[in-house]
Amino acid sequence: MNRFTAAGHDERVTSRVGAWLGVAFGLCFLTGLLSHAIQHPPPWFGWPSGPVWLYQATQGVHVVSGVAAVPLLLAKLWSVYPKLFDRPLIRSPLHALERGSILVLSGAAFFELVTGLFNVAQNYLWGFYFPTAHYAVAWIAIGSILVHVAVKLPVIRRAWSGREVDADRRRFLRTTWLGAGVAVVATAGATVPLLRDVSVLAWRSRGGPQGIPVNRTARAAAIAVPADWRLEVVTAAGTRAFSLADLTALPQATEVLPIACVEGWSASASWTGVRVADLLRAAGSEPGAPVRVTSLEREGLYRESTLPGRHTEDPATLLALRLNGEVLSPDHGFPCRIIAPSRPGVLQTKWVTRLTIEEIQ
Amino acid sequence: MRTVRILLGLAGLAALAFGATLAADFGMASWRDTGQALAFFVGGPLAHDAVVAPLVGAIGLVIARRLPPAWRAPVAAGAVASGVLILLAVPLLWRPFGVPTNPGLHDRNYWLGLGIALAVVWLIAVTAAVLSQRRPS
Repeated sequence: MNRFTAAGHDERVTSRVGAWLGVAFGLCFLTGLLSHAIQHPPPWFGWPSGPVWLYQATQGVHVVSGVAAVPLLLAKLWSVYPKLFDRPLIRSPLHALERGSILVLSGAAFFELVTGLFNVAQNYLWGFYFPTAHYAVAWIAIGSILVHVAVKLPVIRRAWSGREVDADRRRFLRTTWLGAGVAVVATAGATVPLLRDVSVLAWRSRGGPQGIPVNRTARAAAIAVPADWRLEVVTAAGTRAFSLADLTALPQATEVLPIACVEGWSASASWTGVRVADLLRAAGSEPGAPVRVTSLEREGLYRESTLPGRHTEDPATLLALRLNGEVLSPDHGFPCRIIAPSRPGVLQTKWVTRLTIEEIQ
Repeated sequence: MRTVRILLGLAGLAALAFGATLAADFGMASWRDTGQALAFFVGGPLAHDAVVAPLVGAIGLVIARRLPPAWRAPVAAGAVASGVLILLAVPLLWRPFGVPTNPGLHDRNYWLGLGIALAVVWLIAVTAAVLSQRRPS
């Protein structure tokens, strides 16, 4: 029985769509791994503090290639859909294993794309902690892709050699690329400034206090800045406290740096404040060692972050007091926040109350 | 080719094994989480094979059987673009468990945005069809 004769179900089409889907998932996997390592650095891992847009770029690629993978995955599955109805259902134990592995592959692929898309929309259909699940299934997805390519390599080679791809098949492929292009244009404005007004389905707008979006408002974080607020800088020599007036009296620097969220949106702004390196020297310490940053926020996963030594040394790393020329609004971290180059937004701690120098052991 | 296949396969199995240990750690921590995550894992392929793919097939058949030849390719492309846009809009428009919008995030009018995008897609599709109909073939 040959019910599916359309051009889309040809192995030459399957392997070409599959190649692009593999590229999209590969990019997602590598950039995701990077983002994971920056947030949970193993001892051997180091992430550069420049260029300033580096994390913005890798996380933008992560989210954009994930979005492009949606139409590619659907086209790929449509291309092989007839195989679902192959009879007999199972020919041998090896065949059963292969069919089972395809279920794992498509389950993992859908899981990553669906949870990723709902997560960037901050729409939590699930109760579990997204990063742990997304990270675990990423390994399952990439592992089953590699096994799948290993199994299908003879078919892939046959599909790429010899016979020309005819007009009908080329049309199916063109429509697939069109779908991927539409998906990218509709969303990439979340991070690509040129597309900001074109991407009608991007999850950030031009809004936000002082022109920059906010992921956690002062109200959501239950922030109340005490009247006697001081910034404590804890060094080996002891603790020094700085009032807001003290911080304003220190030499001020201005840097243009992006806030780049793990959720793929980003926005650049001009930040003014004290260079962290200068502040550490003023407190009687030296930059170059990691610094633990503590927020006024009492609860929440991101109330503390650790600035690596490379970032405390970088002159672009600021303890910002002003944003786009104005005093930081409460939602952007008043009285002061960390803004460092090439870091995930969740680690740009707001409402800072203490900096603790973690001396190198 | 044999060596490449063996190396790819081994690398894949190693990644799968590592993923399985991570998944086991995740699953052991909470039965509720395990159940939900499994539902998402199995739900994707099921929803695709039972709903999305048959729907795509049915629309494809209607396009192939009922439309004049000049209209087939533009309408198929328009349908693909519309499907992609609608799927990507779902998490933004259907928010049963969405957190409140934040200033600058998820605060656009996505119904309007989707409507404009679909209008542009179909304007292009219909124009392309009319132009190719007029062209002597």
